Amino acid sequence: MFSHTSRKTFPHYKCLHEHYANYNVASLSNKQRLIENTFLEEGITFTVYGDNQGTERIFPFDLIPRIIPQKEWQLIEEGLTQRLIALNLFLHDIYHEGQIIKDQVIPESVVKTAAHYRPEMQGVKVSRDIYIQICGTDLIRDDAGNYLCLEDNARCPSGVSYLLENREAMKRAFPNLYSQYRVKPVDNYPDLLLKTLQHLSPRQGHGPVCVLLTPGAYNSAYFEHTFLARKMGIEIVEGRDLIVLDAYVYMRTTKGLEQVDVIYRRLDDDFLDPLCFREDSMLGVSGLMEAYMKGNVALANAVGTGVADDKVIYAYVPEIIKYYLDQEPILQNVPTYLAWREKDRSYILSHLDSLVVKSANESGGYGMLMGPCATKKELQNFAKKIENEPRNFIAQPVISLSRHPTICEDLSIEGRHVDLRPFVLYGDSIEIISGGLTRVALNKDSLIVNSSQGGGSKDTWVLND
Amino acid sequence: MRLKIYHRTVYEYANAVINNNNEVRLSPKLTPYQQVETNFISVLPATRLTRYTDLNFNRVHHFNIPQPHQQLTIDSRCTVKTKRPFEIDSLPYGYAHIEVKKCSQHDSCHTYLQDSSFVEKTPHIWREALDIQADSTDVFQTCYALMDFIYSDFTYASGATQVTTHASEVIKGRIGVCQDFAHAMTAYCRSLGIPARYVSGYFFDSTLDQKLRGSEASHAWVEVYLGQHGWVGLDPTNRKVVDENYVVLAYGRDYRDVAPVIGTYFGRSGSQLTIHVKVESLETNTAGVS
Repeated sequence: MFSHTSRKTFPHYKCLHEHYANYNVASLSNKQRLIENTFLEEGITFTVYGDNQGTERIFPFDLIPRIIPQKEWQLIEEGLTQRLIALNLFLHDIYHEGQIIKDQVIPESVVKTAAHYRPEMQGVKVSRDIYIQICGTDLIRDDAGNYLCLEDNARCPSGVSYLLENREAMKRAFPNLYSQYRVKPVDNYPDLLLKTLQHLSPRQGHGPVCVLLTPGAYNSAYFEHTFLARKMGIEIVEGRDLIVLDAYVYMRTTKGLEQVDVIYRRLDDDFLDPLCFREDSMLGVSGLMEAYMKGNVALANAVGTGVADDKVIYAYVPEIIKYYLDQEPILQNVPTYLAWREKDRSYILSHLDSLVVKSANESGGYGMLMGPCATKKELQNFAKKIENEPRNFIAQPVISLSRHPTICEDLSIEGRHVDLRPFVLYGDSIEIISGGLTRVALNKDSLIVNSSQGGGSKDTWVLND
Repeated sequence: MRLKIYHRTVYEYANAVINNNNEVRLSPKLTPYQQVETNFISVLPATRLTRYTDLNFNRVHHFNIPQPHQQLTIDSRCTVKTKRPFEIDSLPYGYAHIEVKKCSQHDSCHTYLQDSSFVEKTPHIWREALDIQADSTDVFQTCYALMDFIYSDFTYASGATQVTTHASEVIKGRIGVCQDFAHAMTAYCRSLGIPARYVSGYFFDSTLDQKLRGSEASHAWVEVYLGQHGWVGLDPTNRKVVDENYVVLAYGRDYRDVAPVIGTYFGRSGSQLTIHVKVESLETNTAGVS
């Protein structure tokens, strides 16, 4: 909102700045409380795993929106499109011929040892040759104001429902301010998502039947599943609602069985099919993988996309882009040290207290170490872990995330660290919803924005010039 | 005007083929009138893409797929910002036929006056061109007359010609598609000593009734050299001076130089080709208030 060097308000924030000057702190906090109450009443919540309180929480919402001018947004759009095309080509390649491995751009061992690599998918033709239909890439800004890519969530990224609900809340809370800006709308997302799903349908000459497969009401993102299914007008199903007969998938309805063409699954690969993956899975559908591999049903995202999510593969994305597209990456990566490279590992171990260490296959802010604020014991523990399983760890320098004015607990307005998760859809064409989920670390100086670790969110406005 | 283009080319081979070597000319050119914002070319089966610039300064991507495969898909996505080269009241008149003789010695023009694979100068074509020129002394006026002649006297129909049809056959048969019209016009111009080159690209039909020809496909037209005005685009298929609705991919002596996808493979001949082109305008005149 304010320039780092001149301490002036950026032009696109001027109107907002003036508008907020009209409110006193009490009236702002009043508005905030009202919004949070509505969220709670409407059930816009998430669940935190392993928390003793065990209750549903609302995703804390901050009243000051983040504004992104058209020009910056265009760059983000280009960068994300490039990344998504390249990652899809990469997945297609490693599950078919593996040219990129033969050309020694990426070592085979790295690909094949990725926890989410699925050998079952080797040679399987996925519908329309698209692997990642829905991608939620996390972006951050560094000191110089450049957008960097932090991770690609290529499995089942969540958060889009909060983005849509945040926008509704902002429109209600600040109708005048909202109409003064030319903000690009976001409410076309469910339509775009449905189109993306329908595009996958393997059945010709029949209206595609799409369903959303949820793990159930205890999942942390269950609200989002119901929300999206309702907005798209499709059925939400659990594993036990589906049945596979002769390699076709059917849904049990009150009118009998109905054939399903596309499954938007919000379930990890591991749980999809007890016959193929984890046999103790109660959430999946027996025989689903057979139907999938025969091409009788499409899954979004495809099985095995987790490879692109692996943090070691992440370090190779710039090379992946150069290889398949013959272009320089538009969005840069955060510099990454790979523990399995000997040189990098010794660097990591000697600089552990100034680095962020992440395990390669976890998400949601679990299994990571913030070097600068860790205790000695934690550091020692992690050093041991890294030495034992070097393939599973990467390290990155601590990037000072950009800060954005935020209303804090004591009702003062202070800068808090933010990131941005835009959502990209790859169907007939590549569509990026104009905005994204801005997550904010509500604790002072904290750099962790994950909702499961005490993060909140903001509305994100992309302007039409 | 900002235009978004999606161009998909799919080859389906009856039997698996190997060693598929291809050159792809699908990157929009950088010209004073068009600015390329993004351009992504992706090939399936996934393989390494490399790039170089050819004799006509077109950007060419190259790839090779050694392993057996039955299908080849080439996707090109780009966003281009275009500008109108000439306003309707300042068309590039004022370049006389007497001056045009001098330019035949220019590097940039000499090539585009010679015969090429699909375009040849014959006495018959020259005579026709002279008749159309009539008493015009202005090169632009002559070119416009040639374009007008092709537009009104030739029949636009697909199926009557092939991709390898020569300009002389088109002029004889008076029938063809945009590629043939562009070849015919190139032949007329060259026989009169006007440097002319073949342009491939896309165009966006901004008319309400969508009556223009060739908008949902790769398009082709002609650029002629007009001295101080430089190269000016004319589209004989639609009788239009090229404006901001056109996006240039590549230019060359004729189709042979600019074919969007050209290549060889080992295997039985015979493949099914499907092409899908979508050109959209990104101009937003409506405010994003919902």
